[in-house]
Amino acid sequence: MSSSTKFLTLKTCDDKKFVLDEAIAVRSQTIKNMVEDDCVSNVIPLPNVNSKTMTKVIEYWKKHSEEGVSKDVLMDFDKAFVKVHHSILHALILAANFLNDKEILDMMCQEVADRIKGKTPEEIRKEFDIKNDFTPEEEEEIRKENAWAFE
Amino acid sequence: MDYFGLMPEDCLSEILSFTSPEDTARLSTSSRGFNSAAESDVVWEKFLPSDYQNIISKSKSLLASPSMKQLYFSLCDSPILTDGGKMSFSLDKKTGKKCFMVSARELTISWSDTPHYWAWSSHPDSRFSEVANLRFVCWLDMRGKIETRLLSKRTNYVVYLVFKLKSGYYGLETANTFVRFVDLESDNEAEERASVVSISRQEGPGENRSKGRDDEWMEIEMGKFFNDAGEDGDVEARLMEVRRLSAKGGLIVQGIEFRPE
Repeated sequence: MSSSTKFLTLKTCDDKKFVLDEAIAVRSQTIKNMVEDDCVSNVIPLPNVNSKTMTKVIEYWKKHSEEGVSKDVLMDFDKAFVKVHHSILHALILAANFLNDKEILDMMCQEVADRIKGKTPEEIRKEFDIKNDFTPEEEEEIRKENAWAFE
Repeated sequence: MDYFGLMPEDCLSEILSFTSPEDTARLSTSSRGFNSAAESDVVWEKFLPSDYQNIISKSKSLLASPSMKQLYFSLCDSPILTDGGKMSFSLDKKTGKKCFMVSARELTISWSDTPHYWAWSSHPDSRFSEVANLRFVCWLDMRGKIETRLLSKRTNYVVYLVFKLKSGYYGLETANTFVRFVDLESDNEAEERASVVSISRQEGPGENRSKGRDDEWMEIEMGKFFNDAGEDGDVEARLMEVRRLSAKGGLIVQGIEFRPE
């Protein structure tokens, strides 16, 4: 490792610390802005991200920062990366949103979208445990408005 | 646990933007959160074709749509005229893919410059300023084309002749139709695989028959094609009856429509 390598310490909401090469950490636009604005002291707190999620994010960042890794390998990696339970997908979306990492955010949103596509609202509510918080009148109204999508 | 319920609205919108217009409309009926996220410009701008601004700029139609969602539905429900009224443009509601209709004036119709055979007039139900009225011909032959680069990529398209029948129409029981990429296949080659359609017979078993449309017109399928990368040059649809040379009359042609399957 060259002597110019700088390290950042990230601290997740559950108080776990991650020491990471700055060049990798700045894949997060949020962290990049902090570094550029020179407001990075010793530790960067990530109040919205837990350590389990951050471990996944860093796994992704490291893989995608490896030198000489082929496109096919990355594609296989990404494919496996998104094959996780809804709860992890959701945590990753929230983390990617906070870290402002468009690449991970897009990939995760695409995966959730793929799991949603072609299903009825009842099936989606059941699969994702979504609470139907409409009043019966509201629901009828909205159903009418969107009737074309149910034909 | 309701993970979506815990998500900020812009994340929900982001997810919706990766689905389809149809899925978004369905999802918006599942919870208040999704319903609200489904209003976002982020979602509907992504469902509009990437070149929508360019297409709209070629139109004189005024589109005062305060939101992307309203613009989207306006383009689905009310086709706009482009290229000086030569074509109309609209969107397929469920997919957001591009539909074009080429006006009768832009078609190549045999004998259409002879008023005895074909007359041009306005029509209250037509989106274009003129329609072609078939008075009388024996030789019926018309074709229309569009550049594939204008159409949505990696999409199956169906081509339709959009028409009406006047009372007392005659001789329109059969015709041959085919669709071809002009640069890739000759007219003669394509004609060998032409399908036989009936303009005057409506829905029923057997051969291809005409169907009613929501806009008071009728349509008959002329053929299908797959638009891959939009790099196949012109695609042309042709309808002809030049073998049975009995008299034909009573057809009003609005145009030829290229629509996603």
